[in-house]
Amino acid sequence: MRYSILLALLLSVSSLFGADKASNATVVEQTNAELAAVRVAATQAREEATLATIQATKAKEDSKRAINELAQVKAQREEELASMAAQEQVLKENRSIHISVVGQGVAPMNTSSPAQAYALAKRAAIADAYRAIAEKVKGVRVDGQDTVKNMMMQKSTIRTYVQAMVKNANIVETTFKEGLCEVEMEIVISHSDFAQ
Amino acid sequence: MRSRDGNRNFSLRLCSVIIFSSLTLTASEHLISYKYIVKDATLYNETLLISNAMTKCNGTPQNELILLNKNSKNLKQLIFENSQEFIDYIHKLGLHVEHKETTSNLQNSSTTTLTLKTTCFKVDFNDNFARISPLK
Repeated sequence: MRYSILLALLLSVSSLFGADKASNATVVEQTNAELAAVRVAATQAREEATLATIQATKAKEDSKRAINELAQVKAQREEELASMAAQEQVLKENRSIHISVVGQGVAPMNTSSPAQAYALAKRAAIADAYRAIAEKVKGVRVDGQDTVKNMMMQKSTIRTYVQAMVKNANIVETTFKEGLCEVEMEIVISHSDFAQ
Repeated sequence: MRSRDGNRNFSLRLCSVIIFSSLTLTASEHLISYKYIVKDATLYNETLLISNAMTKCNGTPQNELILLNKNSKNLKQLIFENSQEFIDYIHKLGLHVEHKETTSNLQNSSTTTLTLKTTCFKVDFNDNFARISPLK
């Protein structure tokens, strides 16, 4: 009887030790798994970091390219402006500029004869040609005004104004067709005309 | 008794006075202004004003125009007879251009005014022609 109790005790103790060993094994397995997971996460993080560095380098290259393209566009624009300035007529000393314009005029409705209609239309065309010369030489003052009410355009007005003194303008050709008179007029401007 | 030399001086003076006065009196001064307005590409108004100068004008004659004259001393009549030539001459002298254009709700209207400001002209009448030149 006494031996049996001892055996039972021994068995129970041995079972207890076996259970401890099993539990220890599961903990080790768990820690190993966690370690593996951490390693995987670390490798993923490293990969992400490398990807991020690659993307950053790409972005840098892209920005460099964009800067280069911008510089090229700027250079092209400057070249275009320089060529435009070279093409633009600039009045230099001992030089003259020849300006040619066409003015249009209409005869009034109540004329007594075709000759009168022609004469009056020609006057109007000459005035238009003078206006065109003044616009080319001196420029136009433009004033605009838009009125918007309740998100709707109420009124739109554009006013232009030209004022100049025109001298020595010559009529080159006059045509009169179907009530419309066209006068081709030219003027030669020299540097001395503007010299103070 | 007056000597022959003295008489000759007197007659020379008299002749020179007559010649000088005849030269100065034939040249007269006139004030001329010209303006024409074109509205919407149609001639609206044209004005040419001529009057005798009441006071003496200053300046030297420039860019003369010679018009055929039939022994007349009436400048208005002379210019009326040669109006086209005179207006072309005025254009050459130079005109002030003023142009106003308004576009309101896509409807356009314009007014152009060409003006020769009142200018003093010296006019020399002769038998067959007249010389007109502005004093500047």
